[in-house]
Amino acid sequence: MFSKEKIVIAYTIEKCKSCEMERKRNFTEGDYLFAENSKCNSCEGVMQIDKIFGESIE
Amino acid sequence: MVDFTNIDLDQLFGFSDDSNPLMMLVWILPIILFVFYGQRIQLQVTSGEIKKAIKKLDAYRIEARTELIEHVKKNMNPREDPTKKIDRFLDYFTIMPVDMDPNGIVEKVRHIVRAREDYSRNHVKTISPETGELELTKIITLLEIATSLHMIFKIVNHMYLTAKKQNNYPLILPLQMILPFIMEEAEAITKAIPAFKSGQPIGDGIGPMVVGKMMLDTKKEKMAFQTVSSEKEFDGRKLILLKAEGPGSTVGRPGDAVETIVAKSKPDIIIMVDAALKMEGEDSAITAQGFGAAIGGIGTERFQIEEIATKNNIPILAIVIKQSIKEAITLMTKDIANQAETVRSQVYEMIHDNTKSGQSVLLIGVGNTIGVAQ
Repeated sequence: MFSKEKIVIAYTIEKCKSCEMERKRNFTEGDYLFAENSKCNSCEGVMQIDKIFGESIE
Repeated sequence: MVDFTNIDLDQLFGFSDDSNPLMMLVWILPIILFVFYGQRIQLQVTSGEIKKAIKKLDAYRIEARTELIEHVKKNMNPREDPTKKIDRFLDYFTIMPVDMDPNGIVEKVRHIVRAREDYSRNHVKTISPETGELELTKIITLLEIATSLHMIFKIVNHMYLTAKKQNNYPLILPLQMILPFIMEEAEAITKAIPAFKSGQPIGDGIGPMVVGKMMLDTKKEKMAFQTVSSEKEFDGRKLILLKAEGPGSTVGRPGDAVETIVAKSKPDIIIMVDAALKMEGEDSAITAQGFGAAIGGIGTERFQIEEIATKNNIPILAIVIKQSIKEAITLMTKDIANQAETVRSQVYEMIHDNTKSGQSVLLIGVGNTIGVAQ
């Protein structure tokens, strides 16, 4: 009766191929799994998109 | 003066007296009413609920159509207004082959379905021939969504109006029974639109996600239409990895690809990874292992894979990731995405336990590969 529509936010998890550091950010248009499109902040290695998922906020 | 504090209800209504005419009316009138007008009353009550559902279905189909037209205008830059063409697509129907003689029916179904797919692809492309393959796959899926919702609305509305027209309550009963399932599916289909528009992986993409990562840094080869494969070594075994070509929205043609692979290098075992519908009460994102071809759809791909495996005596094992229909076609949930690594280790364990060194394994990631590369 009082159920509210949950808002789902899409997130992208990037993982560094060398130091395995993970970074979570909001999904942006053009992201897809296993794409390599940024550099790691800590080791200058290549970041690869490891996961894209939705999380709901109440 | 009447003493209102001392009224005997038993005496007034004659509860204990069977001959009281007022009590007889109270009992007999509803009985007569329900005997002659019961079905009509039920029809009125039920049709109120169905009307609400039809209103929702109508809103879903309008939303899908509007989203599709806007997406086409924004991403295909058509020279002319595509609305008329899209409206024509929405009304296309498919006549399934006659099944009085089931012999060879799978071939016929496959032929009709593929002809429809090819026709839609070619005609959507005519809206703007410069459109890239990735965008085209997304638009075709959005078109399928809009067509499905359009068809669901038309069928439900037809069943409802027929029952109302004939004033026939039993005619509305089957609709009342299946309506919750139809609504669940229609809602899930509508909620799938944003994921397909933005190219995000969906729950059904867990199979391609598992196999896609294993295919990274290998040489990919086109095996069938929108289907790629590659080879790698694991623990002395040759792995032949197969999935739909991502990151577009497609399930590929795994049946054709399996046929080519088996003819070229007969694998000793086939392992299929796919999403499966969970049962009520089951947790989402749990995995299960079993036997047989784990692949959904209309059944033609499964038939083809089963036939090839049977002819060549190749066992088929399966790993499925359970999810609801909504989870399967909307943006992948965190729980499902987190299972990818677990499934990958289960695949390696399955290969290790069921094959010997020197043997070969065909691993198929089944499902829509939107947002999942390889």
